[in-house]
Amino acid sequence: MRLPISWLKEHVDVPVEPRKLADDLTLAGLAVDAVEGRGDEAVLDLDITTNRVDCMNVRGVAREAAVIYGTTLRPLATELSETGAPATEALRVVIEAPELCPRFCARILDVRMGPSPAWLRERLESVGVRPISNVVDLTNYVMMEMGHPSHAFDLAKIPSRELRVRWARPGESVRTLDGVERRLEAGMGVIAGPDGALSLAGIMGGASSEVSDDTRTVALEAAYWDPPAIRRTARALGMHTEASHRFERGADPEAASAATARIAHLLVRIGAGSVRPGLIDVRPAPPVERSAILRPARLRALLGVDVPEARAAAILAGLGFGVGQAESEGRRVAIPSWRGDVAREADLIEEVGRHHGLDKIPSSLPPARRRGGLRRAQLAARQVRDVLVGAGLDEVVRTSFVPAGLEARPAVTVANPLADVEGELRTSLVDPGLLDTLKRNLNHGHRDVRIFEVGRVFLPSGAGVEERTHLGVLLSGAGRPRTWSEETRDVDFFDAKGLVELLAARLGWPISLGKGPVPAWIHPGKSTCLLASGEGIGHAGAVHPEAAARLELRGEVFVAELRVDALLEAKPAEARARPLPRHPGVSRDLSLVLDGAIAAEELVAWAHQGAGALLRSVRVSGRYVGVQIPEGKVGLLLTLHYQEPERTLTSDEVQASVEGAVRALRARGVEIRGE
Amino acid sequence: MAETAGDLKARLAALRAEFGEALARARDAAELQAVRDRFLGRKAGSVTQLMKTLGGLAADARREAGQALNEAKVEFEARLETARAAAEACARKERLARDRVDTSLPGRMPWQGRRHPLTTVREELEDIFVAMGYEVYDGPEVEDDYHCFEALNMPRDHPARDMQDTFYLAGTGGLLLRTHTSTSQIRYMLENPHPPEVRIICPGKCYRRDAPDLTHSPMFQQIEALVVGPGISLGDLKGTIEAFLHALFGEEHPVRFRPSYFPYTEPSVEVDLGCVACGGNGCRVCKGTGWLEIMGSGMVNPAVFEAVNARLGRVVYDPEQVTGFAFGLGIERVAILRHDVGDIRLFYGGDLRFLEQFR
Repeated sequence: MRLPISWLKEHVDVPVEPRKLADDLTLAGLAVDAVEGRGDEAVLDLDITTNRVDCMNVRGVAREAAVIYGTTLRPLATELSETGAPATEALRVVIEAPELCPRFCARILDVRMGPSPAWLRERLESVGVRPISNVVDLTNYVMMEMGHPSHAFDLAKIPSRELRVRWARPGESVRTLDGVERRLEAGMGVIAGPDGALSLAGIMGGASSEVSDDTRTVALEAAYWDPPAIRRTARALGMHTEASHRFERGADPEAASAATARIAHLLVRIGAGSVRPGLIDVRPAPPVERSAILRPARLRALLGVDVPEARAAAILAGLGFGVGQAESEGRRVAIPSWRGDVAREADLIEEVGRHHGLDKIPSSLPPARRRGGLRRAQLAARQVRDVLVGAGLDEVVRTSFVPAGLEARPAVTVANPLADVEGELRTSLVDPGLLDTLKRNLNHGHRDVRIFEVGRVFLPSGAGVEERTHLGVLLSGAGRPRTWSEETRDVDFFDAKGLVELLAARLGWPISLGKGPVPAWIHPGKSTCLLASGEGIGHAGAVHPEAAARLELRGEVFVAELRVDALLEAKPAEARARPLPRHPGVSRDLSLVLDGAIAAEELVAWAHQGAGALLRSVRVSGRYVGVQIPEGKVGLLLTLHYQEPERTLTSDEVQASVEGAVRALRARGVEIRGE
Repeated sequence: MAETAGDLKARLAALRAEFGEALARARDAAELQAVRDRFLGRKAGSVTQLMKTLGGLAADARREAGQALNEAKVEFEARLETARAAAEACARKERLARDRVDTSLPGRMPWQGRRHPLTTVREELEDIFVAMGYEVYDGPEVEDDYHCFEALNMPRDHPARDMQDTFYLAGTGGLLLRTHTSTSQIRYMLENPHPPEVRIICPGKCYRRDAPDLTHSPMFQQIEALVVGPGISLGDLKGTIEAFLHALFGEEHPVRFRPSYFPYTEPSVEVDLGCVACGGNGCRVCKGTGWLEIMGSGMVNPAVFEAVNARLGRVVYDPEQVTGFAFGLGIERVAILRHDVGDIRLFYGGDLRFLEQFR
C-alpha cells in the first residue's frame, strides 16, 4: 500500500523523518518495504498483514503513528449541512439476507458531475488510483483515507427507487462496471432492484446503475458485508477488487455511516453538490459489543517482561480500545469495532507487546526438562546417506510431481495442478526421477552418473494416500574412478548388487536376493528382487534395453529401488565381539570348470554339503571365460576356508574335507582342475 | 704329487692376492657370487681344491696348513659378505637416485559422493536443536484440512489461506499436500497427550501452488519448531531463535524481531537477520535494507491448544496452564544465503554441475 506522508500528516503529527517513521512502523508491525522521496514528498510502501485491514488506509496508519509518538489522532471532518427532502423519501432499502449484510447505510446526494479538483486527482494518482469523476473519485478517496469502500448508484437508474440486499437467484446475472456479464450462483450476494441484480455486493457495482455525466442524484451506499460470503463470491468469480480485498478481511461495521458522511462532507466542500437530510441506516441486528479481560500476570508470563500497567493501558487506549478499571480478575478491555482481528487476551497482549517494543523483551532459553535426539529412523537415514556418499554417490532431491499416466501403476492425482508442473505424485524414485536426472546430466556431458535419493513416494490406498519412504540408486558410466594409469570398466550388475550388500552390512539390514516380479522396464536377465523377512521390498538390476532405447540412454544403466520405512525403524542387533582366533586358519583353492548355467550360489552350497561341518566359508575368488575354457563353460576359483577356534587343524582333516567337497562337486558334473 | 707345507703356504699367499684382485673387480652381487664360486665353491673352488691336497702332508704340517686354510676360508667369507653388503648399499643408492614419480600427475581419488546441500543444512539445523534438547519429529506430507488449516486457526474461507495456495489430491475426499510443516505441531500434540511438555522440531517437504521461478518452487522444505510448557514466554522464543541463528550464521549477525501475523500464533513475530552478504550496510541481497527476512514465529495461539483439546476430548494443553512458541524456517532460504544460490530451482533439478560444488 502506498502512503503519502503529506496525507498522513493531515491526520496526525509525525515528529520524525520518513525513514525513521518507516523503521518505527516496521518495528510496530506495519512493515514498510520502501520509502520513495524525501520530507513531505515522501511516499511509504507498506506491506500490511492480512489481519490488519484497519491499517490498509491512511487513518489506520495514523492511529498507529499517534501511539508510537504519543501524539493525537485528529478527528475526521464529517459535519454536514443538509438540504432538500429527506433521504428516506427518495430511496427504500430492504435487507432480505441479514447474514450477508448486517448493516447498510445510504445517503442521497444531489450532484454536479464533472472532474475532481486537481488536489484530489493528484492524491488519488499518488496512491495509484485512476481519477474518473468527482463522485467516483470521492468514494475512492474516502476508501483510501479511512478504509471503508462505498458505491455510488445513479438514483434515476434504480428501478422503483428500491434496493434489496439478497442472495442471488439461480440463473441470475449482472453486468459489472468492468463490462463483464457475471453469471451468479446461490451464495453470492447482490444489491438488487425489483427486476434483478444491480450490483455485486461488496465487490463491484453494476453497469446499469452506474453514474455518468448525466447523473443528477446519487444513492451513496456504504455497507458491512459478511467476510466469508465476499471471499467465496470473489474467488468463484475470479474477481479481486479494492472493495472485496477489504470486506473479505473484515471491515468496520461502524465506519459505514462515517464513510457516507465523509464523502458527503467532501462533496459539498469541493462544490460538487449537496446532501439531502438523513442517513438511511438499515441494521437488522444491534452492534456487538466485544471485550476481553487483560491480566497483568498473564501479560508478564506471555511476553516475559514487565510492562507497567499504565503503559499497557495507554497503548490500548491510544489504539482505540476502551480500557476499564483494574479489578481483581484484571481489566476489562472493550475492543474497537475496526479491530475484528482482536478477540481475546492474547490479542490484547500482542497489541501491548508490539507497541512496548519487542526489543525491550529480554532473551532467555527455556529450561530443558526432557532429553532430545534423533529417532532411530532418522539416524538410520543419515547412516544410509553416509554409506552411499562414502561409496561415491551424489545425493539428489527431485520433485514429488511426475507426469500423468507415466506407468500402468495407479498414482495419486493432483486435483488442481499448476499449468506447467506435472500432475501426479511419484510412486517410484527411479522412474522417472533418477532416470530423468541421468538424462539431464548425460546431456550436459557427464559420463559417470552415480546418484541416489531417499524420499517419499505416494500410493493410492482406498480413498486415502499411503506414503512410503524409498531409497533409489542409479549407476551409469564407469565402474571405478577414471585414472590416467588404468583402464576403467563399465558399471555392471555387481556394482549395484554390491551397494545393496554394503548397505545391508553397514546398517544390519536383513536383505536377501530372490526371485520375484520386477518392473517391466527392468532387464529380466540382469536383475533381482530384494527381500526382507521373505517379503519383496524392491529390486536391483539393469534398465531394460527397450526402455533404455526409448530414453536414448548410452551404455548400460543399473538401478536399485527399495522400500526402507521398516528397515529404518528396525533396531539391528548390537555387534558382539568374538574372541580372536588363537590358532592359524587354512585356505585351499579349487579350480573348477563347469557349465555356465550353474549358479555360483549352488556351487557354494554343494561345496558345503561335501566338505562337512569343518568348512567355515567358501568364497568365489575368480571367474574366467575364454581361451583356457571350453565354449559354454566357465572357470571358477573357489577358496575354501578352515578355522577352528580352539585347536590347530591337522592337514589330514582339512584334506579329507576338501576331498569331500571335490567329490560333491564332481558328482554334479563339475570338473576340478589341478587335483 | 705330495706338496710341502711351504709350497702350500706360498700357494695360499698367491691365492689371497688373487682373491683380493678378484674381489676388487667384482661390481655387483652376481659378480661377487662368481668370486665366491671361484674361491670357495664346494667342488671347484680354489680353496676347496687346496684343502684336497692336505692329505699328502705330515700330520703336524697338515694340522697347521688346515688351520691356515680354514682361517683363509673364514677371512674370504667375511670379505665377500662385506663387499656384498657394500654392493647392495651401492645398488640401493643407485636405485634411489633413479626412483622418481611425477608427483604433479593427478592423485587417484576414490569415488566420492556428496550430500545434497539441503540435506546438509537440514542435518546441521537438527544437530543444533538436538543439542538444545529437541526431539526431531517426522510428519506426513499428505495431510487433511484439519491438520493443515483448521486446527491452526485457519477455518475455511480464512483470508490467510490465500498466502498458502494449496494442492488438493483428487478422489481423496479433500486430502492435500501440506503447505507448511506447522501441521506437525498438531500431529505431535495429538499423539502425545501426556504432561504437556513439548520441545520438537519437524523438518520436511511442503508444497504450494507457486509457479516455479527464481525464488519459488512448488515443492520446498521447512523446519518447524514447537516448544510448550508452563511459563514459556516470548523471551524464550527470542533467546532460542537468537541461539540457533547465531549457531547457523555466526555471532556477528544481529537478529531483529518485529510484530507480524500468522493465524496460529499470537503474538506473531517476524524475524530478520542482519544481512549476511553485506554485514548490514545494504546491498542487492537485502534490497538495501541491511536486514533479511528469515523466518516467522510467535507464541502459540490459545485457539490452537483449544483445537487440540477439542479433538482429544479433554483438556491436555490448557492455555491457562501452558504457553508455547513455534517457528518455521525455510531450509532453502538458509542454503541460498549460505551458498549464494541464485535460483531455488537448482536444488531440485538434479544437475550434478550444481550439486558437485558443495562439500
